[in-house]
Formats: sequence, C-alpha cells, structure tokens
Amino acid sequence: MKKVLRIASISVFALFFGFPLYWVATMSVKPKVEENPPGIVVWHPESPTLTNFKDVLGINNANDNPFATTDFSALTPLKNSFLAAGGGTLLALLVGIFAAYGIARFRAGGAQLPFQILQLRMFPPAAVVIPLYFMFVYLHLWNTLEGLIIIYGAITFPFVVWLMRSFFQDVPREISEAAIVDGCTQWGAFFKAVLPQVKGGLAATALFVFILNWSDFLIVLVMTQDKWTTAPLFLSTMSGGSGGQEYGHQAALAVLLILPPAILGLSIQKYLVRGLTFGAIKR
Amino acid sequence: MSSEPLAPNTGPAPRRRAGISRSDKIGALFVLPGQLLMVFIVLFPALVAVYIGFTEWTPINGTTFWHAYKNWHWFSGYTEAFGSGEFWSAVWRTVLITVVCTFVEAVLGFTLAMLLVKDFPGRGLVMVYFLLPMMVVPAVSGFIFQMLFQVDGPINGLLSFIWPGDVTLQWLSDPSLAIWGVMIADIWQWTPLMFLIFLSGLVALPEDQMNAARILGAGFWPQFTRLIIPMMRPILLIAVIIRAMEIFKLFDPIIIMTQGGPGTATQNLSVYFYRLTSVSGRWGYACAVALLVLIALSIAAKQAIKPIERAQNESLEELMGAGAEDVPAERIEDAIDAGARA
Repeated sequence: MKKVLRIASISVFALFFGFPLYWVATMSVKPKVEENPPGIVVWHPESPTLTNFKDVLGINNANDNPFATTDFSALTPLKNSFLAAGGGTLLALLVGIFAAYGIARFRAGGAQLPFQILQLRMFPPAAVVIPLYFMFVYLHLWNTLEGLIIIYGAITFPFVVWLMRSFFQDVPREISEAAIVDGCTQWGAFFKAVLPQVKGGLAATALFVFILNWSDFLIVLVMTQDKWTTAPLFLSTMSGGSGGQEYGHQAALAVLLILPPAILGLSIQKYLVRGLTFGAIKR
Repeated sequence: MSSEPLAPNTGPAPRRRAGISRSDKIGALFVLPGQLLMVFIVLFPALVAVYIGFTEWTPINGTTFWHAYKNWHWFSGYTEAFGSGEFWSAVWRTVLITVVCTFVEAVLGFTLAMLLVKDFPGRGLVMVYFLLPMMVVPAVSGFIFQMLFQVDGPINGLLSFIWPGDVTLQWLSDPSLAIWGVMIADIWQWTPLMFLIFLSGLVALPEDQMNAARILGAGFWPQFTRLIIPMMRPILLIAVIIRAMEIFKLFDPIIIMTQGGPGTATQNLSVYFYRLTSVSGRWGYACAVALLVLIALSIAAKQAIKPIERAQNESLEELMGAGAEDVPAERIEDAIDAGARA
C-alpha cells in the first residue's frame, strides 16, 4: 500500500515535470496545421516532420520557409551564442581562477573580497545593465562581440571565484609548498602542482559557466541588435511572414537550445549540487 | 583591509610577518585582474549611475551622458520613486513572487527528494529525468509555458478533462491569472534544483542515528520533525537563500510570456527597470530607482552570503552535524519516546 502510494506520487511529479518538455519536443516535429489549430489540442503529432529544424537551420530553401526569404536563419544567432558564451567563459575562467587561488591560498584582498564578489551575483542584471548600456555605447562596445564577452565574463566571474575557491580549499597546502621546496616559483607551483589537482573541478566550472552564459537573454536583449543577436533572443523575436506565432519553428530552435546545456549539465552531474550552491554544499 | 575574520576556519592562514610579506604581494597579484574587471564593470558604471540618477537624462534626444548635467534635478528622481505607486507595486510583486515560488519549490523539492531517497533499480535515470527542467534555458521555458497557457492550449485542454465543460481560462491575458502563470513556469523549472540539493542532504544523513531511531520504533513523523528537519536545516537555509536571490532577479520568462503585462500585472522590479528605459526612455529616473534597490539589496546580500560562506569551509557531513549540534542525544530519545507512545 505504502509502495503504491509512493509510486503514484512519483508519477504525478513525473507528469508535471515531463509534460512541458514533451510538448516542446513534439511541437518541434509538428507540421504547420497541427501547431495550434483553433479550438482543438493536438496531443501528439499525427504526421511528424523535420521541416521545422531544416527551416530554422536554413537548410530548406523551399518557398514556404519563412526564414529563407529573410536570409536570416537561426544559424547566425546560434553561432553568436557559441562565440559569446565561449568567449565569456574563457574570460571568466582566466580572471576567476587566479582570483580564487589568491583568495583561497593567500587570503588576498582581505575577508571582505569574497563577499563583495558574490554580492555582484545578487544584483538584478536588469538594474546593472542600465548604466552599462550607455557606457558601452560611449565606448563603442555596444552591439559588439567583445562587449558581450566582457559582460558575460564579468557576470559569471563571481561564480568562478566561489566555486574554484571551494576546490582550491580541498587541495592541501603542502602540495604547493613541496613544489616550492623543489625549486618552483609561486606561479610554477600553481600551474604544475595545484592546478592539476583541481582538473575535474575546473572542467565542471567551465561547463557551468558556459551554460550560464548560453542561457542569457537579458544582456543580449539590451546590449545587441540584429547582428549579434544570440539564439534565445532570436527565438523570442521569431515570427512568420504574416507576423503570427511560429510555434513549430520556435520549438525546433528551443530544442536546439536545450540540447547543449542538457548534455553538458548531465555530464557534470557529480558537481551539480556544488556548482549550484556556489561551492557551499560539497557533493 | 578588515581585521575581523569572517570565516573562522578557512584553513591555516599564511604566517603574518611585519610589513608586507612576499606572499601578500603574490596574493595581490593573483586577485588583481579580477579586481580590475570589477572596477570596470561595477565601480565605474555605479559612479555613472549615481551621476545620471541626479538628472532627467535620456539618450533619445541625442545628448551624450557627459552632458546629462544640463537636466540636473538633484533628488527628484529618488523622491518620485518613494511616492510612485508603480515602483512600490513592482516591489511587492517581486516579494510576492519570491516568497511564493521559493516556498512552493522548497516544499515540492523536499517531497520529491523524500520520495526518491531510497535506492531502487533505475533511480539514476529517474533522477536525470527530474533534473531536465533545470537545464532548459530560462527564456525557452518562458516560450514553452507561453505555448502551454494559450487559451486553446494543452493546459486548458487537460483541465477540460477533469472539469465539466470547456475550460477557456485566459492564463496570460487575465491580470489576476497571469502572475500565477509566471510563477508556475518558475516552479516547474527550479523545483528540480531544490530537489537535487535536498536529495544530496538526505542521502548524507547519518545512517546510524536514523537506524537507531527506526529500530527503537520512532514513527515517520517524529523522525521527520525531530531528526531530519533539524539536521537538514543548514542545507534548507542555503537552498532557500540561493533560490530566493535568483527569483528576485526573475526576468526572462516574464518578458517572453507577458512582457510584464497585462497592464502591470506581472511587472516585477527587473521588468520595471527594463520598461523604464526601453519603453518610457526615462534613464535618469531608472538609474535612481536601480540605485535604491541595489543599496537595499547589498544590505540583504551581506546577511544572505554568511551561511554560504560558512558552509564552504565544511564538508556536507560537518554541515549537517552542525545543524544537529544541539540536537542529537535528547532528540533521538524524544523521537524514540514519541514513537513508542504512538
């Protein structure tokens, strides 16, 4: 009896959490007529098709492809997403790893520095981008890849510091001291002795930051236009020639947007809890 | 530099010598690039925001922000904010969304974690299944729920099965429903995070104490309220803080589902900032309001970060042990007594 109840409750949860994903996945393979017909709900695709994906990726040049005529498929936004998220991740890591080590090993910047850094993540980006917007316009960084990368790097930097700090703290102090005794400089000890100890954590941090940047919508909404639009923003502005909703096409792009973080996220499942809690819960 | 150590046990500190030691210098070098980045992206814009906040500047008429002083108006932006109904309603809406979503996500997440804590074949796969919503780009989850909440959409369709007649709720265009639509989307996406954090805590519960309580006949409820909850407390706290602080910033799904509307029905602070600049073009006022909120938040953030910082220096077991520090012996006996009485 207890077991039945348990399985029943798990099933209710499964339905609630699974259904939205089922809906977007099936929507992406629905032909136009099944997308959102007035008055009826098409629960499962009657004649599944890959047209939506081909259209969105600009592979399909048929006349009924709304994105063939505008010469603007989701390909460019997807590429922009990869470039901006990747660049932002590199910047955040480059700056963040050193800061994390300095804080963990030397308590550099005093006890307040980690606080100040994490505080950055608590501020609503919607407020922070207001002065950044006209500052970037003035510096000619607005609507550029460099501009996006700088903001992405800066916004995910606190995350790198806190997560990497927790990994560095796990490395015994003796390891770097031994390397120094063996004739390494502090820098040499960091690169040759300490960094290899946190390889796993470093990889997980990198993937985390990439996912965070990949998921951005607000920054790119304020900081770019057309040319450097990334995929999430493109998704929200997609509409057909008639200006109506393009559920099928949007769902296809949605699926393409979900896949990279889902795959990356599951590959670092071991570090998920630690990452999501800024290194507070080590699991 | 502050002399008060906020983290009492951050491991052995480097030995301090008189004056600036070599290792201090190296440490400073390590953090320097990060500090420069913060100056560029935080300090500099913050100063600019303070300046613009004293003006009624807008870029629309072509003046650069250097010349904002021409529309100088001191504190009128700030006084306007304090008297603005729209601002306060955005504040309360943000608080409402934060409180409701955090609470529901914590309860659902905890329930699901309790349901899945015992091992069974295929548990790994079930776990992955429940983690998926969290991996969805928030803007995409907004789009998904926009589809689901259409009047002809599947949610009304599902409701029509269990409710007599056709359900035609205007989820996203009815002012009283829209905010719930937005919250449901957030709950769907982020309950998995709570679930994952709680599950890792539940799995790490000290077995012997749990077993002792069980063998000695403590029922589920005494075990739950007197052992599990107290030990999980630090983890609950961290999860709630982290979620609350994210929900406070909520933006992407709202913009996609409702643009803050209908009217201002789903306009939280983030959406309010966005609309002030991109719709009303009131940049000076937006800076003033943003600064007010940031000042309030930095006070809150200081308190919120403490438990996270404390936890970073401890293993999960130590963390949970600390939660149960004043608990163990008597609490277990209590639990057992209660179980025996039942």
